[in-house]
Amino acid sequence: MHIELEHITKRFGALCANNAISMTLEGGQIYAVLGENGAGKSTLMKILSGYQPADTGRIVIDQQPIAFNSPADALAHGIGMLHQDPLDVPTLSVLDNCILGLPGGLLPDRRTARAALIKTAAHLGFSLRPDAFIDSLTIAERQQVEIVRLLSQNARVLILDEPTTGISEVQKDTLFRSLKQLAHDDGLIVILVSHKLEDVEKLCDQVYVLRTGQIVGQERMPCPVVHLITLMFGQHLEPTTRIAAAHGEVILSVRNLQVKDERLTLDALTLDVRAGEVIGLAGLDGSGQQAFLRACAGLYPTLQGQILLENRDITPLSYHERLHCGISYASAGRLEEGLTAGLTVAEHFALVAPKGARVDWAQADQAAQAAIAHYKIKAQPTSPIETLSGGNQQRVLLALLPNPLKLLLLESPTRGLDVESARWVWSQLLERRAQGTALIFLSAELDEIVAYSDRIGVFSNGRMTLIDDPAHMSIEQLGTLIGGKTA
Amino acid sequence: MIAKPRTARISVPLSRTLIGAITIVLALVAVLIAIGVILILIGKNPLAAGEQLVQGALGTAASRADVIMFALPTLLGASGLLITFTAGLWNIGIEGQITLGAIFATILARSVTATDSPLIVLPLELLLAMLGGALWAALTGLLKLFGNVNEIFGGVALNFVAQNILIALLNGPWKAGTYSSTAPFAAPALLPALNGTRLSPLAIAITLAAYAGVVFTLRGTHWGLQLKAMGRNERSALLLGVRTRRNTLLALIACGALAGLVGAIEALFVRGKLAPGISGGIGFAGTLLALLVNLRAGWLPIVALLLAIVPVGGLKLTMALDESVQLDTSLGNVFQSALVLAVLLANGIRARWRTRPTMQAAIVPESLIISAAAEITTHTIGKG
Repeated sequence: MHIELEHITKRFGALCANNAISMTLEGGQIYAVLGENGAGKSTLMKILSGYQPADTGRIVIDQQPIAFNSPADALAHGIGMLHQDPLDVPTLSVLDNCILGLPGGLLPDRRTARAALIKTAAHLGFSLRPDAFIDSLTIAERQQVEIVRLLSQNARVLILDEPTTGISEVQKDTLFRSLKQLAHDDGLIVILVSHKLEDVEKLCDQVYVLRTGQIVGQERMPCPVVHLITLMFGQHLEPTTRIAAAHGEVILSVRNLQVKDERLTLDALTLDVRAGEVIGLAGLDGSGQQAFLRACAGLYPTLQGQILLENRDITPLSYHERLHCGISYASAGRLEEGLTAGLTVAEHFALVAPKGARVDWAQADQAAQAAIAHYKIKAQPTSPIETLSGGNQQRVLLALLPNPLKLLLLESPTRGLDVESARWVWSQLLERRAQGTALIFLSAELDEIVAYSDRIGVFSNGRMTLIDDPAHMSIEQLGTLIGGKTA
Repeated sequence: MIAKPRTARISVPLSRTLIGAITIVLALVAVLIAIGVILILIGKNPLAAGEQLVQGALGTAASRADVIMFALPTLLGASGLLITFTAGLWNIGIEGQITLGAIFATILARSVTATDSPLIVLPLELLLAMLGGALWAALTGLLKLFGNVNEIFGGVALNFVAQNILIALLNGPWKAGTYSSTAPFAAPALLPALNGTRLSPLAIAITLAAYAGVVFTLRGTHWGLQLKAMGRNERSALLLGVRTRRNTLLALIACGALAGLVGAIEALFVRGKLAPGISGGIGFAGTLLALLVNLRAGWLPIVALLLAIVPVGGLKLTMALDESVQLDTSLGNVFQSALVLAVLLANGIRARWRTRPTMQAAIVPESLIISAAAEITTHTIGKG
């Protein structure tokens, strides 16, 4: 089997998720599609597996151009996708799940299906009981069911989206062994979508690296991990012209904090942040930097340790109480967490206005007008927020933040913004810093982190390593830390 | 500089409103034609029946009063539901809240004697009714907040519980005579009727005040805006500083208090005693009404009155001597529900037509509304 992706382009509004991506996939090979969050790998795989069409470009399978209308259509052409959360029916048995997608009349042929299931499972070294119910299985076992199901429907291409999150080492070994067998012995194409370099190193034959919607590298394994990281995060760093700000007293003290994320436990987090200081959090996606940020905001429970704001213990305080203390938090998903689609710009300002029983619409309107003028937002007070561009939404979000603030926590403050908007956002943030606000932000862009941080916290293996002098740090050194190889 | 619009509310482009109106009118016409065909098929005269229906509902002063009194509790219930709908809550438990309101009002009403002063008794009864409805609604809210029970399921379950509390009371301690209901309340316990009519000025005043209060709260107060933000995106509202958990509880309590008043009107005026099925499907009718106007509160009173014409007029058709227009009441309810469904369907189709990608998400709730409405409609027919 031979698949060519030719100039695949997919846009979501102003965002170009896939920009003329071309890729060649050969039977018998295991590929990695590597990239940070938002690099466009999921979009590309959804196009390949029929979940969404590309805007332009085409998919050619064995010299035949093919257009998919649905995932079922893609599967009929042999392309099957394994989602991060298995798409099975929990209340059905393993056997019924496998029968579900099969063609075949009113009465399913259970006997044949059972035999096929047992045979495939044994072939791959899975121990699956056909009569077990899905909801009694572990994630890893459900993945195995999905693989068997896809194979029973003659899948020749298996796409696996982050398959190793939430499964044990042993289960991972079983999975990888079976995938190698499927590719190297049976001639299937296996595609691993991941940002976990360790998995890529162990499993894959070839790697495509995506960054901001484009392929920035194609490597054969083995290949130095640092090289892959450099590809993922960008090649060079802009020389930074940092304006050193005077740092004030310690605003935030994190002492021995323990935070439990969905899949990892962060331990022994300790950090002192001074007024006017900017701390950038780096790390591969899902290394715990988001959990840490949210724990500081009071949106995530902490297991142990203390968070002090100006020497006052705020660990037991809720998000609202911390908001009143002068801690604010801005998430990366603007329309999901932050702004409210269906409300106008002025209504947003009315919402955060000083409380009173009645809404002072005139005052909200004025506040909106003022923000529009000051932050150069392209909108009217009466514009529904969802009609604004991403950059303008981010400006509204910044304008809504209380002033003054002691501590500002930001997730990917410039995600999806063009260079101009991103620079503008930072000019506003630095202005806040000049007023004495401490900033902690996370970003998938190493350039951004190095350019604006006074100190950097690198997350890996559930720990945070602090870098005190990022200006004299090479990207290789940083990459090594991010990759989790302690030097 | 160009003058900016003064208010900050969303202005819907005229063309969209117009298209919306046309779709709804078309849907209504289609249903009316379908009803006409059905009537012809069962050997009735649809035009004459329609005339009789309107005549029956609006022909005399007494029948017009009936339409108003029929519309009142529905309007009151729907006003409460506007609060919860705005906050994105499905207060299906409103039937139980009405029942508890009636029960709480009865606690006092059944011990009132002919010599008591209505000036003291009535306010206390109404307050008790609000308390009963609010408590029952708070229970739904607490189940949601602390037990993670969706308010729809909690509400359905509490409806059953309320129903059975009512039956237990009426068959046990509150049973009067051989019937399972209380004795008729003494005059001071009842909402007074306007001389010689079946109109209750007090019920009208309560309902209109509640409706106006709700409209003002949702449009003009901070709390109303917070509820609106929660209904659109609870997570964002939380991050912007809205206390979403507290507001969830408060919205349910406010709706429950108004539902309690519905129960009081039913017990203290319509029935004059506490009897089985005191909520009478009004909660579901109110839900239907709130869905129908789709948060456009201005339409609520008009649509409530229009919806009341069918059952009141339908009653006349049942009693008609002329064979060619004589119809069963249940058929009237079927037609009423068919009209409601047609409007909802028209809205659903309109949402589907809007091709803007951001509207994709809106299609799902809309279809959910339709299926919920179908569910509720069946309930209403069952109760009718």
